[in-house]
Amino acid sequence: MTSRELVKRTIEFRSPGRVPRQLWVLPWAEKVWPRELAAIKERFPDDIVTSPAFLNEPLRTSGEEYAPGVFVDEWGCRFENRQWGVMGEVKEPLLRSWKDLDAVRLPRERLSVDHRRVDEFCTSTEAFVLSKTSVRPFEQLQFLRGPEPLFMDLADRPDELFLLLERIHGFFKEELELWARTGVDALVFADDWGGQTSLLVSPALWREVFKPLYRDYAAIARRHGKYLFMHTDGFVTGILPDLIEIGVDAVNTQLFCMDIEDLGRRFAGKITFWGEIDRQWLLPFAAPHEIAAAVERVRTAFWRNGGAIAQCEFGVGARPENVAAVFEEWNRSKKLLYNI
Amino acid sequence: MFHMMQEALIAGNKVEVESLVEAALAEGTPAARILNEGLIPGMERLGELFKSNEVFIPEVLVAARAMNAGLAKLEPSLAKDGVQPRGVVVIGTVKGDLHDIGKNLVAMMLRGNGYRVVDLGVDVAPEKYLEAARADGAGAIALSALLTTTMVQMKNVVEAVEASGLRIPVIIGGAPVTREYADQIRARGYAPDAASAVEEIGRLFCP
Repeated sequence: MTSRELVKRTIEFRSPGRVPRQLWVLPWAEKVWPRELAAIKERFPDDIVTSPAFLNEPLRTSGEEYAPGVFVDEWGCRFENRQWGVMGEVKEPLLRSWKDLDAVRLPRERLSVDHRRVDEFCTSTEAFVLSKTSVRPFEQLQFLRGPEPLFMDLADRPDELFLLLERIHGFFKEELELWARTGVDALVFADDWGGQTSLLVSPALWREVFKPLYRDYAAIARRHGKYLFMHTDGFVTGILPDLIEIGVDAVNTQLFCMDIEDLGRRFAGKITFWGEIDRQWLLPFAAPHEIAAAVERVRTAFWRNGGAIAQCEFGVGARPENVAAVFEEWNRSKKLLYNI
Repeated sequence: MFHMMQEALIAGNKVEVESLVEAALAEGTPAARILNEGLIPGMERLGELFKSNEVFIPEVLVAARAMNAGLAKLEPSLAKDGVQPRGVVVIGTVKGDLHDIGKNLVAMMLRGNGYRVVDLGVDVAPEKYLEAARADGAGAIALSALLTTTMVQMKNVVEAVEASGLRIPVIIGGAPVTREYADQIRARGYAPDAASAVEEIGRLFCP
């Protein structure tokens, strides 16, 4: 069975035979643990990969995204950074005043994807292929306005906020439509909706303002026969039923911020949990046997002849032996999976 | 009137809060009473609602804006009457970390609860906390960190405070921070969220 088929069977709860794998790697890990990382990748090859965008026009960025200093993204948002290997923070937002609204330039270079090369990439691999999209309406608003002004906007509801959101959303729909016409298996979008212990905004606000956008993304995926994958960090229990309802197939979230067993009782068999294993405490500080116990919790909570992907992030502070332990434990679970 | 003031504050109605504070002052209500029976209980209720996930960051931010507007109306009278803050708290995000929304929420809630806050911003070196604590006569130092890698800087601040002879508590919080970590580095306070930080600082000020 190919990796692509394995992932499809997992998402559709059709007894895939083993749990598909995907390792996320931050530049920090490549710099600090190059040999260990290479060994892990060789032992546990990814079943899920992301297609390069193969842009015909380069993105207008400057600086290095994951290095100390200043990085300006393709929207013109300026990120300051002190840490190697992680993303910076917007300290001087582009839209300090709504008077500057017209200055926001949509990065249309993102739409210059070379379809032919993407399709070639997809046919050249047996892995399940994700789109290289950067669709994140809530986060993009934060980058443009700054986090605190945006949260105030969401309470105050100025007309300009919705004009901006409409423009951003229109652009993201265009980007998703474009990728949906390629040979990728799934479209990807993201927005971090959780703090450590709660949602950042009320479920009511989320449902009113943001859920309709995601519903549009799901419609694009369905219309083109693609799966839909979402990343959302933090405590997001309150919106998981909505994500299931609109048709998100797989969600990557910080399971260990939440009550994993409760999530399992409520949502196992309804959506695939695309990882993860805790990157705040377990991957940096735990022992490998504790990692194995964490994988066991995830497996017990979510595996129902599918519905879980062995994913974790090799990010800042993570220990290579713990990252390896994640995949070792998932491999060991092969027999157990079908006895749950 | 105090109940209306609290309701307006929780609703983030800045204009209404200002108007009610002005009306109370015009009626001759002492500024300290307006603060202690009107505004602060409003912020305390807001904190409870935040802890129980009944309000979220947008609502807290607009309530804090309304609180600040009310305080601005009150401050001349508070100064004239010699009303002192509950205490002084030095706050900042630790060295190497630029994240500040959590720290800002704590600072807003502390101000709204009658504390004077010395906000050092982000990427703050240990010695800066000490300098500010000494200069402003702080009763506590509050540290924030979002990243696992910068969280370790909290230990350096606790050790610097211990070595300096300053006998003030350090309270810590932020996404990866836990009570166990606070105990491990000998921080005397820990809070999982902004509302809890205000309670914890209250406990540390009046054990």
